[in-house]
Amino acid sequence: MPNRDLSEYLPLKAAWLHILLALAEGSRHGYAIRASVEERSEGRVRLWPATLYGSIRDMVAEGLIAEVAGEPAPDDDPRRRYYDLTGFGREVLQAEVRRLAKLVEAARLAQVVAET
Amino acid sequence: MDPKPVRAAVRLYGAALRFLPQGFRARYGRDLEFDFREIVLRAHMRRGASGVIAPTLHGVRDVMLSAVRERGRDGAMNGTMLGQPIRGRRAQPGEAMMRWMIELQQAARSLARRPGFAIAAVLTLGLGIGANVAIFAVVDAVLIQPLPYPESDEIAVIAHHAPGLNLPELQNSEGTLRFYREHARSFGALARVQTTESNLTGLERPARIMVAEVSPNIFDVLRTEPRLGRRFVAEDAVTTGPPTRAILTEQGWQARFARDPDVIGKRIVLNGQPVEIVGVMPDGFRFPGRETEVFVAREVDPAGPFGRFGISGLARLKPGVTVDAAHRELNALQKRFGEFDDDLTPAFLERAQWSATVERLHDSQVEDVRTALWIVFGTVGFVLLIACANVANLFLVRAEGRHREIAVRAAIGAGRGRLAWLFLAESLLLGLAGGAVGTAVASLAVEALVARGPEQLPRLHEVAVGARTMAFAIAVSLLIGVFFGLVALVRYVRPTMGAALRESRGDTGSRERHTLRHALITAQVALALVLLVGSGLMLRSFERLRAVDPGFQSNNLMSIGVSLGASPDRARTAAAYREIVREVAALPGVEGVGVINAMPIAATGLNGGSFAIEGRPVSDNAIPPTSMWTVASHGTLKALRVPLISGRAMEPRDSETQTNSAWVNQTFVKRHLADGTVLGQRIQLDGETWLTIAGVVGDVRTFGIDEEVTPMVYLPLSTTQPTTSIEIMSLAVRTDLAMNSVLPSIRAIIERVAPEAPITTARMMDEVIAESMADTSFTMVVLGIAAAVALLLGAIGLYGVITYVVAQRTREIGVRIALGAAPGRVMGLVVRQGLIVVGIGLVIGLAGALALTRLMESILFEVSARDPLVFGAVLVMLAAVSVAASYLPARRAAMLSPLEALRTE
Repeated sequence: MPNRDLSEYLPLKAAWLHILLALAEGSRHGYAIRASVEERSEGRVRLWPATLYGSIRDMVAEGLIAEVAGEPAPDDDPRRRYYDLTGFGREVLQAEVRRLAKLVEAARLAQVVAET
Repeated sequence: MDPKPVRAAVRLYGAALRFLPQGFRARYGRDLEFDFREIVLRAHMRRGASGVIAPTLHGVRDVMLSAVRERGRDGAMNGTMLGQPIRGRRAQPGEAMMRWMIELQQAARSLARRPGFAIAAVLTLGLGIGANVAIFAVVDAVLIQPLPYPESDEIAVIAHHAPGLNLPELQNSEGTLRFYREHARSFGALARVQTTESNLTGLERPARIMVAEVSPNIFDVLRTEPRLGRRFVAEDAVTTGPPTRAILTEQGWQARFARDPDVIGKRIVLNGQPVEIVGVMPDGFRFPGRETEVFVAREVDPAGPFGRFGISGLARLKPGVTVDAAHRELNALQKRFGEFDDDLTPAFLERAQWSATVERLHDSQVEDVRTALWIVFGTVGFVLLIACANVANLFLVRAEGRHREIAVRAAIGAGRGRLAWLFLAESLLLGLAGGAVGTAVASLAVEALVARGPEQLPRLHEVAVGARTMAFAIAVSLLIGVFFGLVALVRYVRPTMGAALRESRGDTGSRERHTLRHALITAQVALALVLLVGSGLMLRSFERLRAVDPGFQSNNLMSIGVSLGASPDRARTAAAYREIVREVAALPGVEGVGVINAMPIAATGLNGGSFAIEGRPVSDNAIPPTSMWTVASHGTLKALRVPLISGRAMEPRDSETQTNSAWVNQTFVKRHLADGTVLGQRIQLDGETWLTIAGVVGDVRTFGIDEEVTPMVYLPLSTTQPTTSIEIMSLAVRTDLAMNSVLPSIRAIIERVAPEAPITTARMMDEVIAESMADTSFTMVVLGIAAAVALLLGAIGLYGVITYVVAQRTREIGVRIALGAAPGRVMGLVVRQGLIVVGIGLVIGLAGALALTRLMESILFEVSARDPLVFGAVLVMLAAVSVAASYLPARRAAMLSPLEALRTE
């Protein structure tokens, strides 16, 4: 899927951003994605299974992530499916992060929050 | 294996997954379940079973929301609107369900926007439904559910009635049981049952217990087997003399043996005779009464008398034989009684209006409470109707506020059907929420009722909130939900939506819009009137019961069971009673004491029958005079403060020696000696010694405060009449000391004089009288609460409606005031409008009350079901409440300043 317009995906849905962030560290199965998101957000964001897999399905369809042959950890069920970022997914993630960074920078300049 | 809560959560989650579209489920269903299990497993590890709840709720909610989202997307892809049926495409499984979920969600949101309305409606409905569910649980367990015996509707009670003899119900004699067993074709088995009180000794402490003497075939009748040991066989049963084999009931096993599993083969001592235990009945088996502790085996005596009644007969009808058929057969058979007993000739039976009765065991157990229970059930049903009327009113008020919202929805394309679904979803939610609150209320109420309900209510221990009660609760909730849905539909879904959009603010309420509202108020007033009359009648009954003169002074009077048991030496037993009485009389603070075998109000084990009056031979086939007789020591009537009307009082010499004297009550004189001398007249009981009437005493309510007084003969303690018994007596002690301070000394005396005598309960007679009125007071309290709630809800409803009408007419009122109408006239206008509606309700309610209170006649005491005082008082009260409820809004209307009123929109 060459030359697709990244901006079509921005701003990213919150759940998608979290999933992409979780997968940026390497391939994971569904529950591991949830655990990673929960940990990163200090328990504030919880992706419940139906929402999670709904997003996964859509993101696979959009080519942001792909199912991969994972290397199951010894205590994982072998039937689990693993997902990883595609190149395009990584681009989208980077574009979103840049967009957010700009926003943060703008906010900083406007002195919305006190500097630390 | 996962812990149980986790497994349950996963199963629930799996069920919820069905709501997801097929394709999504096929692809990710397993992953969803894996992950969910992982989540709850960890939650369980961290926080235990209760930790599972939150993730389960979240998980299921997540599935539901996703299902809505996924299906919405599927719909959108097909170019359709959410929630609209799609033409030309077959509905997918679960789609209708999903639409419902969406409607319910919207409904819940819409309700949450007006929490006041939702809370008021749910609480009102919850109370109404709760009362109904609780009483349904009682009605179902007591009246509807069959008795806990196999094919229990084949079990029937056999008895005889002879109203012409003026005696309480005759049961059976050894002779009639023998005769029916031999000749009646209707019965598969006919058992003999006789309850007695016996002294139980040989265990740690003596006790007086309820014993049922039964023939071994009782097990064929009840078809219930012992849980331990064996049933009675023919060889266990005696026909005369003391019984030898016993089976314990749950009560006896629990109370006397602490459920010892090795009780079989042990011995107990009943009335001084050893009896071997051969079995234990299962838990929950309560026959013949819930206090029965021991069954002993006694067979019908082949040589027993035909003419002495007082034994219960319990039969199992052959399959296919109706109660009526059995009844006809027995009444045909009893024409032959004359062959066995010279007195019971057909001519005599006819004059005594003698008949055999066959009644289902269930009916005979519940007949005393059936009417009262149905009335209570009807009462709470009325309360629910009134509650519904109030909530319907709330709905209408809400409807006014939503007219425009609805019109807008309709204008942007919501079909009428879809609007209808929305209202139905709302009202169903309310109904179900009310049902949930109601079920919680009912559970508490039933618990309290089982723990503290009236003793007289049979089968009370079987009452519980079970599956049937739950089904009832759900059915009622759904019905109510649909009802309100319809009310809302009538209000909103009209062809004139456009009119609503155009509707200007501040228009005076249209007449048609008030019709429904007024109908609701009319119904509420009518229902409240019926309930108030019902409770008023019960109140009057109770008042009349309290006004009954029991014939003795119950305050400061104590009754203590004292039974010295069956002794062959009657004189010695009598001497022991005399000694106890003498010693108790000497205690400080005791003002009077006596011993009697039929303590008033709750007397059991009385004797009675026909007797002869000297100089008045009874012609053949005529009915001889009848009376009850009781044995009392000389101080008893004085201790009870039963007045002496004429003659002399019973003296110590009457208790000690054979004076052959008797005392009779006033009813005896009225019925049998009205036209002759009384004092000195001689009577003969049962063909024994002639006794001289030495005195006439006042009437005493022997069998209960609401029972007729029967003719009564008092015999002194020294009597040797064989038909009297002094095995079981009660000590009547008059003292103004507290029960606790005098009872130990009395017990010590009894123990010293008769070490084998059991310790039995001591009670204040005031308490016994209160219990005798318990049925009436229970019904009265329930009806009273129901009526109070009805009055309150009715007043609130009326107030709400008048307030609303006033608000609608503010402009008009302002114009009137501006034109110079006096405030008084304005108030009169508003109040009059309220009272017209109330007046119609009162008329309808009056008609209803006249028709319905007739059903109460059998539970009323000395009060007519059309008591004018009650009807009058209720009418005045309702009218007064209505005026008050209309007055407040009317006053507000009159106080309006015309400017303000005209500015109002």
